Parts: sequence; C-alpha cells; structure tokens
Amino acid sequence: MTKWPKGIRAAARALREDLWTAAPDPLSHPRRPGWLEWRPALAVPLVLAAGMLMILNTNDYAFDYQLGTDFGLLLAGVQSVALVVAMYRPIPAWWATTLVTFVAARSLTDSRFPTPFPWTAGGLGVQAGVLFLVALRVRLRASVTVLVISSLSGLVCLMHAPQTSYYQNADVAIPVFVAATAIGAALRGRAVARTRLVEQEELTAEERARRTLLEERNRIARELHDVVAHHMSVISIQAQVAPHLVENPSEELKENLAGIRENAVEALTELRQVLGVLRSEDPLSGTVRHAPQPTLDRLDDLFGNVRGAGLTVTRRTSGEPLPLSPGVELSAFRIVQEALSNAIRHAPGAEVRVEIGYRPAGVTVRITNTAPDRPAPASPGAGHGLLGMRERTAMLGGELATGPTPDGGWEVTALLPAQPPAAPTDPAEDTP
Amino acid sequence: MTTIRVLIADDQMMVRQGFTVLLNAEPGIEVVGQAVDGLDAVAKVAELDPDVVLMDIRMPGLGGIEATRLITEPAGATVKVLVLTTFDLDEYVYEALRAGASGFLLKDASAAELAQAVRVVADGDALLAPNITKRLIAEFSRMSGAPRAPLKERVGDLTERETEVLSLIAQGLSNAEIAKRLVVAEQTVKTHVSRILLKLGLRDRTQAAVFAYETGLVRPAGY
Repeated sequence: MTKWPKGIRAAARALREDLWTAAPDPLSHPRRPGWLEWRPALAVPLVLAAGMLMILNTNDYAFDYQLGTDFGLLLAGVQSVALVVAMYRPIPAWWATTLVTFVAARSLTDSRFPTPFPWTAGGLGVQAGVLFLVALRVRLRASVTVLVISSLSGLVCLMHAPQTSYYQNADVAIPVFVAATAIGAALRGRAVARTRLVEQEELTAEERARRTLLEERNRIARELHDVVAHHMSVISIQAQVAPHLVENPSEELKENLAGIRENAVEALTELRQVLGVLRSEDPLSGTVRHAPQPTLDRLDDLFGNVRGAGLTVTRRTSGEPLPLSPGVELSAFRIVQEALSNAIRHAPGAEVRVEIGYRPAGVTVRITNTAPDRPAPASPGAGHGLLGMRERTAMLGGELATGPTPDGGWEVTALLPAQPPAAPTDPAEDTP
Repeated sequence: MTTIRVLIADDQMMVRQGFTVLLNAEPGIEVVGQAVDGLDAVAKVAELDPDVVLMDIRMPGLGGIEATRLITEPAGATVKVLVLTTFDLDEYVYEALRAGASGFLLKDASAAELAQAVRVVADGDALLAPNITKRLIAEFSRMSGAPRAPLKERVGDLTERETEVLSLIAQGLSNAEIAKRLVVAEQTVKTHVSRILLKLGLRDRTQAAVFAYETGLVRPAGY
C-alpha cells in the first residue's frame, strides 16, 4: 500500500527535477570548440526565424483567433522570445511556449473562418523548435516528458474545443514534435558520446605521459643507486684494508673502521633491496643492468653505432677536462646518447657534431645535427628521449635547451654544473 | 702447503689495492699481479700463470664474462676464476659461471670470506657457497630454456654411478659428503668426479653443476 504513493512521490520528484531544477548540459567539451562556440552565429538565423514567426503568430492570434492586437502581440512576443531563449535555458522556454499555446487555445471563442487548432501555424513552428532545443540539451527522459506534456496539453485543448469552426492539427503537430525531439535527442547522443571519447582519449594520453615520466625517473634512480652502491662497496673494502696499512693499529681505530665497514655493508644491503624493486619495475633492466655505468670517456662506443647508421659524427672537446662526479658523467653520457639516438631516428644521413666543453663551473654538452638528406621514417614510441634529458638535467640543477636550427637540423644543449645545487651552506658558520 | 697465486682484475685501483692488501695478509695466499681490465687480465694470466683470478664482472672494454671465457677456454687451462660482483646474484653472475668461472663473491665480503673463497676455488673439491650457487644456477638454468640436445646426449656417456655423483655435485655436496651418502671412500668419489669432468669435457664442479641443471638431470626443487 505504501509502495504506490512512494512510487508516485519518486516520479514527482524526478519530474520536478527534470522540468524545473536540472541544469541543461553544456553540449560541447570545454576544451574543444563545438556547439556552444557557434551559438552567437546560430542565434542570428534563429532571431530572424523568431521574428518571422512573430509576425505570423501576431496575425494568427490577433485576427484569426480574434484576441485583439495587444493580447495577440503579447502572446506572439512571448513565443518568439522563448524560441531564442531556448538556446540558453531550454526548459523555462518550453514552459513559456506551452503555456502560451494553452492560454491562446483556451482564449479562442470565435474565429472568422476555419483556423488551425490547438496550435496556430506559427505556434506549431515555435513549439517544434523549442522541443528540438530541449532534446538537444537535456537527457532523454526529460525531453520525452516534455514532448508528452506538450502533446497532452494540445489534446486537452482539443477536448474542450470552442464552439466555432476550426480544423484540428494535432495529427500533424504531434508527429512533427516527435520528429523534432528525436532529431534533437539523436544529435545530443552523438555529442555526448564524442565528448566521452575525447575525455577518455585525454585521460589515456595523460596516463601515458605520466607513466613515461615515472619510467624515466625510475631508470635514472636505478642508475644512480647503482653508482652509489659501487661507492659503498669500495668503502667497505677500504675500511677493511685500512687496519693493515698501519703497524699495530689501536683498538679504537680498529673498532672505528669496523663500524664504517658495518655501516657500508648495511647500506649496501638496503641499496640492493631498492635496486631489486627498481629493476623489477623496469622492463628495460634486462638489457642495461650489467654494463658499467658509462662516462664521457666512452662516447666513442656510441659514435660507432651512429656511424653504423649512416651518419657522420665529429667530436670536439674544449677546455681542460676536469674530474666530474659519476652522476654528472653519467647524465652527460646519457644526454649525448639520447640526442644521438634521436638523430639516427629523425635525421638519416645527417652530420652530427658533439661538443663537450669543460668549464670550471661544469660541463656543457652540445649535440647538433644538420637537416636529414632524406625524409625520416615514422618512428613510434618517441618522446622518452627529451623527457629523460630534461629530468636528468633538472636533477643536477642544470639547464637544457632543445630546438630546431636555422638550417633545418636540431640542437640539444645541456649545461651540467660540476657541483650539485646542494643545500646552501651558511658561510657564517665557518667564521667564529 | 703450496702458496695460492692470485691475480686481481678490477678497473678500480682502490679495489685492486684493497684486495691485494687483504689477501697478502692471509697465510698461503699471494697476490702476484693486478689487471686493469679484461684484456689486461687475459694477458697477465698468460704471463704470470696464477692459480686463481679475482675477476670483476663490470669492466670497460673487455668485460669480466668475456675475459673469463678467454681465460678458461683453452684446453689444459688450470687457472680458476672467482667472479666479483658489486650488486647481486643476477644472470650475469650465472653467465660468468657458464663462461667458466668457478665461483662468485660479493665485493663487500669480509677478508675471511674472501680468503676462504680463494682457497675453496683453488682446491676445487667443493662448490663455493653451495646453497647460494645451487639456487643461482637452478634459477637461471630454468630461464635459459629447454635442455640442449647435444648436451643431453653426453649424459649418456656416464655410467649410472657417475650420473648419481653428478646429481649430488649439482646439489652442492662436497666429496666427503658424497662419499658418506654413497657409503664409499672419498678417494673413490674423487675418481668419479674427475672421470665425469673428463667425459663431459668440463673443467670443475661448478661447471658440472651448471651442466646438470641445464641438461635437466637435476630438477630445481621448489621452483
């Protein structure tokens, strides 16, 4: 027993929501030009149509329906304004047109000659237009409700038709309304599907970009941990060796060195665990893990590959080569490696110049290639390279610039500081 | 007791010098030379004829694995290679074992472990770190795919007893342990082992263990 009223209440609530409170959808994706951007342009013909319908409607209401010029103008005006407003607020506009139709039909008492009823010719046009715009903007349930209410209100008017000559046009009007709603709903369905697709695509692209970034960071982290582990194992060896280097080392010294060794071994154990995790997440690890972490001395190995791919490579070193930290050496090597592999991929047959400039503050790596002598084949999976270079440079507090050269080639310049941008030490600390 | 002559091959000077100091401090072990990379190691082995080479896996130019192959490949080569690794027991350590290394050691091993490893490898009667070695070989032999047919044929040359001894070697047992298990004299086991190595053309028990897993004679348990 209680179910029935509950059902009715729910239906009433849904109806209220659909016909009163619900905001219409924005029909186009916010980041994609679409329907809404065209709205001002579409408004011009709509206003023209509304104007013509107003003339027609005024004529119908004022003279055919014999409602007087003022009342006729008011009704026709409301109809036409509603048609334009429907573009922005479809549901209130629909309320207005339906109400006007109802009022006009109920006001008809005497016509001069047989007149279309319950919709005037102009009223029918306005109603169909509004229904179309409603269907375009609100969900299907609401637009079907709106369609049914429009049709029913017309039929109610027919049932209480005035004692005058008219010809009913419900048999034409209702199919026209159904068609307008159907077309609107179909267009809306397509737009919604497309919006979802675009959103999905954007999401996927974002996801992919994020994954690429993480993979690259993972790779860098792995290489750096690798370098650190190397140092740690040397520390553990040296701590063991040190007591052998002095005659009769004191107990304190031995204890201290044993402590150093113990800590190094512990750190190594942890590093191995971290490396295990990093490797297990890196699909490339199988191919790179065993090679010693390369330094700039080993660039010639790379040049061999590049020459093998049909490019010419020249190398120039300027400045006094200075010892760099393994992290800087490794990053510099990887940047050259990435740049060269990009050149192989995108600039077949080009000339590549690699310049290494040592300065007191750090090292500059500049890789330029001339324009390719033939079009490069499309290569999938690009994008890792530049990202990796940027990450490595940023990590060291350096600068990276990449871009095309005037002659149609490409240039990559990285400036890697010799000293990492460590936490600034307070100079006042040293002075008493 | 004869002195074990050791060559140390590592690209880092600190590591070479450190190991030299540590090993020279041990009785019965003498470091006779140092090599800075794989090629140098091959040359120094020919020149100095050491008993054991401590070989870093990662070296510029010719790496440790290739150098191990070059050093142990010649017929009649008796030098044993002990591979040093910074990191862990990955497939490169396994590759080194397949290339002919007799054992492996983490670089941060203690001086005692280092000396013990050199002695075990020089002696050749037992696997170095039998449990770890066994696990490493089992794990990576599984990944290297199906047993290779020509290898499998060679198992047919072994007698039943020798096959039994081979599978016990692969499980990491020493000669004494095998003798106890089979209730024979240790000398008998030694004879079996050398005959197995001769028939299969293998240089030591580590190689025998690799062979046993790769041919599927021993199935890795628990995997």
